[in-house]
Amino acid sequence: MGIRIKIFSGFLVLSLMLLVAGLWSIYELNSIGSSVQSILEDNYQSIHAAKIMKEALEREDSAILLLLLGKWEKGREIINSADSLFNEKLHFAMNNITIPGEHIHLEAIQADYATFKGLWERPIVGTNKEGDLDWYFQKVHSSFLAVKTSLNALINLNDERMYETATALKNRSKRAIVPGIVAIISALLFTFIFSYLINYYIVNPIIQMTKSIDLFKEKRTPFDAKIETRDEISDLASSIEHLCLSIKHRESR
Amino acid sequence: MRFHIVLRYVGLALLLNSILMIIASVIAYVHSDTALMPLLYSALISILFGVFPLIFVPSTSYITNKEGLLIVVLSWLLSCLVGSLPYFLYGGPFDFTNAWFESVSGFTTTGSTILSNIEALPLSLLFWRAATHWIGGIGIIIFVLSVLPFLGIAEMVLFRSEVSAMVQENFQLRARKAIQILAGIYFGLTLLQTIALLFCGMGLFDAITHSFATIATGGFSTKNASVAYYNSPAIEIVIIVFMLLSGIHFGLLFSVLVGGGKEFWRSSVVRYYLLANVVGVAFTAINIHGPIYNSWTTAIRYSAFNIISVGTSTGFATADTSIWPALSHIFLLFFASQCACAGSTSGGIKADRIVLLWKAFTRQIKKLMHPNAIIPVRIDGKAVDDELVSKSLLFINVYLGVVLLATILLVATGTDILEAFSGTIAAMGNVGPGLGSVGSIGNFDSIPTIGKWILASTMLLGRMEIYALFIFFSPKQWKKRVSY
Repeated sequence: MGIRIKIFSGFLVLSLMLLVAGLWSIYELNSIGSSVQSILEDNYQSIHAAKIMKEALEREDSAILLLLLGKWEKGREIINSADSLFNEKLHFAMNNITIPGEHIHLEAIQADYATFKGLWERPIVGTNKEGDLDWYFQKVHSSFLAVKTSLNALINLNDERMYETATALKNRSKRAIVPGIVAIISALLFTFIFSYLINYYIVNPIIQMTKSIDLFKEKRTPFDAKIETRDEISDLASSIEHLCLSIKHRESR
Repeated sequence: MRFHIVLRYVGLALLLNSILMIIASVIAYVHSDTALMPLLYSALISILFGVFPLIFVPSTSYITNKEGLLIVVLSWLLSCLVGSLPYFLYGGPFDFTNAWFESVSGFTTTGSTILSNIEALPLSLLFWRAATHWIGGIGIIIFVLSVLPFLGIAEMVLFRSEVSAMVQENFQLRARKAIQILAGIYFGLTLLQTIALLFCGMGLFDAITHSFATIATGGFSTKNASVAYYNSPAIEIVIIVFMLLSGIHFGLLFSVLVGGGKEFWRSSVVRYYLLANVVGVAFTAINIHGPIYNSWTTAIRYSAFNIISVGTSTGFATADTSIWPALSHIFLLFFASQCACAGSTSGGIKADRIVLLWKAFTRQIKKLMHPNAIIPVRIDGKAVDDELVSKSLLFINVYLGVVLLATILLVATGTDILEAFSGTIAAMGNVGPGLGSVGSIGNFDSIPTIGKWILASTMLLGRMEIYALFIFFSPKQWKKRVSY
């Protein structure tokens, strides 16, 4: 095999190690980017929506207390705006199902909220419910708590997924770094081996040949260089040997 | 010392590793698992480092003993290093220390693990774990030589550098013939066990990986509960039979195939090895019956599997041996130190040296009674060279000395003394599980980082029968012009 191919193969090996490690790191970094995006888009937005639903629910609960106190106008105003906010965020969450089992929690929220809403949709002011705190604690508050529990379950589910994704991200970031480290160490080791072989099979024979030519020049010592390989170096050595022989032959005539 | 020649042969060992890494990568690709890139990149590095010296260095059929020794030791160390890459690149529970520990444990066929949840690993990485056992079981260089065409004198030097002194004594054949026998028996046993396990109802993947681990007397299972997962007496019997066979000198197994087994039964080492296992199983069964297991069948079943597993240096488990009584622990520690016969895939002191020790002891008694008598140590009617006897006795002393030193070092790192002592014995004998938290159902993750390096070094010392590694790391030896 020729020297050119040998040297080229050395550089090819080095480039391949670094190239593959680089491409892999880019792939992993890209995956990290996608995971961060997924945390933001999928989990964080669902958590945010659930928190707003919880806030709206609490405002509805406060509004029911106002209705019980007979403040119809103020109570209705708060309850209607909170209800539309709740429904808006529920609709958003229903369209952002990204985790297996998330739809079960959303269906539970939907069902519990329908029960809760059924309690305050009917008139309270001017009916026998006005001022009836027993009715509030027995029916409304327990229904309110049921919706809140379902909302908390949705938040927990998304929290857990966020934690899992963050843990996976940590592993991924390690994966993006490690190939680089391995490639650098391998490349250093390979450079050492490469230079050793270049030195042994290319540089040393050239030095040997130079010395042998010098000896031939000065003392007419026969040209002698031990070449182990069969490449351009051995061809060169053989040509020099022939040259020396022919010079010696010519001189002897 | 011609380092370029060393590079060429070590490169061949790396190429062998890369072939199995590629097979593991195919498994990763088929199952779309997350270990594909770590395996492919590790294979690429192994191929590049393996092929490059082949391009540069012309082949040679002559190597010196010193070069042979360097090739063998470097092949082991570099195989362990490239073998740790798939784990290290995969990440998860593997930092570099854990990856090195798992890889050394695999190649040296120890079978100790740092993993608490083995089943969480992708199938491809589980295959690679088992493959490291299979490569290391027969010896990395023997494996390479068995798949390469005849290499002339180099083959003989490499063979003698790789195998233990006891095997050199037993294998009075040409290196080529000995390698063919070793490889033939090794591949044959692996194939036979895989088929037998398939017949017992094990899946193909598990059958292959468990066969790799059994024939190499390794012990890596693909299940958290090891072989106990299957709860199948048929599977346990198959594994017991193949563990016992893998612990016998492969030359003797070959003699059974070609000569009908006369030589096999005449071998006092084999008779001692089989008898010791039977006695060990019986005494352990008596000891664990009652306090641990109410039925005799269960006691014998667990005793047979776990004692033979330790006694052949395999390390599979079907029971939590940590809860067994102290006397059973003594049996386990004895078998973990002794292990099986030379010329097999087993580690430890080896039954051959125990037989020699006993014969040397009885000779000494006779010599005390007849001081002028010349009494040779005889095994199977043949006189054993006194140098081999003294070498074997020295080996046992050095072996126990290393165990003591490693135990002290481990205790110094804060490891509990039972775990340190049993873990060191298990690592040195390439057995796998020790006692306590590093027992049959435990793992080595709780051992401090420095302790893991100590244990991994002990595994390598045990696998290379101590001297080779000491010579390798002794700069004085490389300066002198001596032949080993």
